[in-house]
Amino acid sequence: MAGEDQKGPGDPPGKPAEAMTAGKKVDRRDVLLGLSTVPALGLFGYAWKKQYEYEQKPREAASAKAAAASGSVSEINVALLGAGAQGQVLLDAMLRIPGLRFRAVCDVWTEYNQKRVVNTLKKFKHEVRGYEDYREMLDKEKDLDAVVVATPDFWHAPHTIDCLKAGKHVYCEKEMSNTLEGARSMVLAARETGKLLQIGHQRRSHPRYLHCYEKLLGEAKILGRIVTVNGQWNRAVSPDLGWPERYAIPADRLKQYGFTSMEQFRNWRWYKGLGGGPIVDLGSHQIDIYNWFLGTPPAHVMASGGLDYYDPKTHEWYDTVMAVYEYETPAGTVRAYYQTQTTNGSQGYFENFMGDQGTLVLSESEANYPGFLYRDPNAPAWDEWVQKGYVSAPKIQEVKERDEEAVLDVRESVSPDEHRVPVVLRDPYHQPHLQNFFDTVRGEAELHCPAEVGYESAVTVLKVNEAIDAKQRLSFGPEDFRV
Amino acid sequence: MNGEGANLTRLQMTTIVVMRVLIGWHFLYEGVAKLTKPGWSAAGFLKQARGPLADLFHGMAADPSVLEIVNPLNMWGLTLIGLGLVLGCFTRLAAASGILIILMYYLCNPPFVGYFYSIPTEGSYLIVNKNLVELAALAVVLVTGSGRAAGLDRIIHGLLRRRPRPAAA
Repeated sequence: MAGEDQKGPGDPPGKPAEAMTAGKKVDRRDVLLGLSTVPALGLFGYAWKKQYEYEQKPREAASAKAAAASGSVSEINVALLGAGAQGQVLLDAMLRIPGLRFRAVCDVWTEYNQKRVVNTLKKFKHEVRGYEDYREMLDKEKDLDAVVVATPDFWHAPHTIDCLKAGKHVYCEKEMSNTLEGARSMVLAARETGKLLQIGHQRRSHPRYLHCYEKLLGEAKILGRIVTVNGQWNRAVSPDLGWPERYAIPADRLKQYGFTSMEQFRNWRWYKGLGGGPIVDLGSHQIDIYNWFLGTPPAHVMASGGLDYYDPKTHEWYDTVMAVYEYETPAGTVRAYYQTQTTNGSQGYFENFMGDQGTLVLSESEANYPGFLYRDPNAPAWDEWVQKGYVSAPKIQEVKERDEEAVLDVRESVSPDEHRVPVVLRDPYHQPHLQNFFDTVRGEAELHCPAEVGYESAVTVLKVNEAIDAKQRLSFGPEDFRV
Repeated sequence: MNGEGANLTRLQMTTIVVMRVLIGWHFLYEGVAKLTKPGWSAAGFLKQARGPLADLFHGMAADPSVLEIVNPLNMWGLTLIGLGLVLGCFTRLAAASGILIILMYYLCNPPFVGYFYSIPTEGSYLIVNKNLVELAALAVVLVTGSGRAAGLDRIIHGLLRRRPRPAAA
């Protein structure tokens, strides 16, 4: 192109590149102008470093706290069994807990999940080995103290039982098992071995839930008599999980671990015999809270549900479930509704406890329903609880413009005062529950969700699918919840 | 040739170089921020796609095999384009690639009549948004060859030149 051998564009016109005639390809002026924007890169590097440090500060503070605390706590050797999405969630939380030394990661998807988690742990300076077969891991890793199980539900029982029998403490994700027999044998194994088994109903360790249970419901009895409960987990339509073709697991290995295809391996939650569907995946978290807060498992359940939306070729469990439990509490009957649907995510998830003196709506999320309380206008004042810091001061109910013209119907109740539950969790949701498990391993705490409690919850939740199939109201006997 | 930029005054070219460095900075940080964020994926952005090509972008978001290519391409693309523009190194290639990548962003969320987005909340746009403005600015960078005024291209071109000749064209 013309001008190719001229001085660069932008040289002042009328000032030809005389230097070029001197025979040098690049002269001093070229070098200076050529490097003239390099300082911008230096400035960028400086700014980026500042930004990075700023973002890292909370993380470093957490890990420094963890490291400082490590000095005073005995180190626990941990393995992660199941390195999928949930395993990753647990791992992210565990990396913030002091005194854990990761030794092994086991996942049958060696080329993808296992590799990713092993690499992550190596970055955090854990000398960790990857395994495909958990039995090989248990054979070789003699120093393990605890195993965190985050495999598909139908593997929970064999994985947990074998780990307990190998002398390891186990944290097992919920649902405890996809079958009652599986869950029962887990309780028995924990008893026989004397090892700890914590089930991953993480709300049991959430400071907000603990505050509500101990202070608001226990001490203050702030809701009066709870008569009804409702709760939900609504989820928007989501496509099936895929996988990068080149990382597909060979068919024989899939078969060896109980899967018929890669599609089934990725979307096991939808398959009967592998998972329990949305009522188990989502509902069990919240129905567990019903049992906990009401102080008893239910007496009866009726339910309606079906596969109303998704393709039955790749979905076996019910995408929509609505259930009604009846609880017989010492104070009287409580009816508790729960719905989970997977075609519309509006209003997300929450639990709503309604007593004759107030209402408590809460969830584990800080963004949605982080704990609202409504005092019934006829209820005794909550001043004492506000002063004690159990609940926030009431928010003044705003009178909306359109309300001015509206006439309050005599049948309508006056709007109640709105308060907040003044407890916030800044850590990952699963961290307190894992912390509780490891504290108990060290003998410094008691499990918040031991096998027996997890079993109670599993019986309560698995019965819903049974009730849908039976198309009638089913009853629980007290013996149903005992092992 | 002189349309290529030799006619620009020093002030004009300096202004273009400053603009190039600023755009480069923007690209560079967009890239670096994604590279340093573990598990970053374009899926969320692609899922929000609207407009005539929405189906294509939604399809990309849903296919892990495609994401496996798109994610590193985007992260490294942004970073390298950013470096190129800041340093004035392979400036035209960087500008052209930058235009392409921004065009993709623009088409993914075009502010056409009747589309309402939940994500960009910081301004009001009709047809023209900041993506399009940045794209146009990159077009200026592309045609003015500012890397050879101030940038490593000046040195690279100098070294690649076969032999020095008098400047007269």
